[in-house]
Amino acid sequence: MTAEPPDAPVPTAAGEAAAGEADVPREAAARLATRSSASALSIPDLAACLEAGLEPVGLVQGFCAMQWAFYGAGSPYLRSASPLSGLPRGAYSEQWACPHGFVSAEHRMWGQNYEQPWVEAAWAQGFGSAFQRMLEEAGDAGAHGVIGVVDTARHLADMNVVEFHVLGTAVVVRDAPPPPGERPWSTYLAGMRLTKLLEAGMMPVSVVAAMVSVRVWASCVTEYLSEGQAYGWGTAGTAEIEQVSRARAAARSLARQRIRDQLGADELHGARAGLDSRELGQGDEVVECTLRGTRVRRFKHVDPLPAPRPTVRLG
Amino acid sequence: MSVPTPPGVPAPGSVPAADVRAELRAGMASLAAPEAPSGAAVTSDLSIDETLLLHSIGWVPVDLVNGVSVYAVPGGVWVWSQGEIAPATEAHQRAVGAAVARLRRECEHVGGAGVVGVEVTIEVHPHHVDVELVGTAVRPAVAPPAGRRGHRGPLPEVFVSDLSARDFVLLHGAGWAPLGLAYGTSFVNVPRRSASTALQQRTQNVELANFTNALYSARESGMERMQETALHLGATGVVAVHVAEGPLSFARHAVQFSAWGTAVTLVADAHQRIAPEVVLSLDDRDIAFAAQSLRGR
Repeated sequence: MTAEPPDAPVPTAAGEAAAGEADVPREAAARLATRSSASALSIPDLAACLEAGLEPVGLVQGFCAMQWAFYGAGSPYLRSASPLSGLPRGAYSEQWACPHGFVSAEHRMWGQNYEQPWVEAAWAQGFGSAFQRMLEEAGDAGAHGVIGVVDTARHLADMNVVEFHVLGTAVVVRDAPPPPGERPWSTYLAGMRLTKLLEAGMMPVSVVAAMVSVRVWASCVTEYLSEGQAYGWGTAGTAEIEQVSRARAAARSLARQRIRDQLGADELHGARAGLDSRELGQGDEVVECTLRGTRVRRFKHVDPLPAPRPTVRLG
Repeated sequence: MSVPTPPGVPAPGSVPAADVRAELRAGMASLAAPEAPSGAAVTSDLSIDETLLLHSIGWVPVDLVNGVSVYAVPGGVWVWSQGEIAPATEAHQRAVGAAVARLRRECEHVGGAGVVGVEVTIEVHPHHVDVELVGTAVRPAVAPPAGRRGHRGPLPEVFVSDLSARDFVLLHGAGWAPLGLAYGTSFVNVPRRSASTALQQRTQNVELANFTNALYSARESGMERMQETALHLGATGVVAVHVAEGPLSFARHAVQFSAWGTAVTLVADAHQRIAPEVVLSLDDRDIAFAAQSLRGR
């Protein structure tokens, strides 16, 4: 593709207007206005997509660097205050009481698991902005859809900043009407898998993703168990660290619920879940569950495929 | 192929190839249609191949399900001693058991008949064992999940299996059914060598029998426990067994052996023979010859 200097004028007025409306950088609008196309598809995927009538028009991307809010309800700096006071209605929270009574000023008299909506909001804003920018680039290229979407989130340097990057291949379907609301559909799938999805009567609607962050503020029992200590007479054996188990289960369940909220009557296909738990010491930890996949809509009833034929490959 | 075709499932070759371009246009038209009211949305981590394979035997995905458990390991258990480290073994067994039970309950809650493709994540830390199981609940598309029966009697209402959907379909076609996840583990201290033995062996190529014996001891206990859970489920065997063994990073004097797999039983009158078709693919990626050989060098 022809490289344009960053301050080069946008070739067409329409392109400039579109860039202004859609918040697409001028450089991207200029690049997208050229006729050549780029694609992140492998050759087999490209061949399969062309066979299905999907023509690549460009490699579209969106970026967003988000700074994480450090001070929120429940942050370590507000340890003396109840995080419940800062949680929105419906947010997950559970409490654990100390069974010992007053022991010392340092003793953890209570513990809590609570959702961290400000962390989730930062993630949703970062991912959502990058995704939206990618779709805007695709829309400017006249695409009907974006296939083979790949998204990453990584910490920049050692700062409290996360960079979101979403990219995919914009495709058009010749002679087809524009997508509803001129918003291209999108999917993590491409090539043969996408073709099979269509043959199975499912149409991708959109990439969907959700992140849930749960903070474990350890009770004394959780703290002792996490350190391999007994927390009372006759408690020296193995025992479940219930507070941590419930936090991790809650993070996964909440992520699934957040995805469900985005599905309407459609289905989630090819879900990928990731759980990251970071111990902060003495039983405290942060659990973050990320769930992503492709929202698909059934557009026809499909009879089951013939029973598969088992094969043995030679070579 | 000798795999029986379930009722309502077409025979091989009876479904015409679809016009993908027409399917794509029909799919895009569906996006413009008014959205149906929200219902119980299906979520699944299966690939499209796995979804279609399940569909081919009349099963469908229902929901993503998970089971989590974190068990404490008492302090002091990793001190170099002798024999099995019973508290650590107990914590591991109970953590896996609790996670499996929760996974099964979630599957029941969403109306599934079983869980396939379970991703098993087990981490052993000095003071706790973390177990996380994630899979997709599945059920027959037509028949209600309740009342599964084999020729030897009723099967559990809900099964848990770490088989992939492909393996599940093959197992189903062969007349077998998964019953549950069988698992067993053991942590064993490696006996100390005496000072004189250590000195004698220092410059020799020699088997460290104490390590070998500890591994065998852990292996026997772990496998026995896995078989016990399988027998408890009424299984006749365990398939796709995974094994994790070796010393622990934080206790090099201790070895761990863990095994888990899917307990199965025969539900058909006899094993259904799957006669696979032998194919020679033309997409061989290996280039096993040098270019010079083409010129006779």
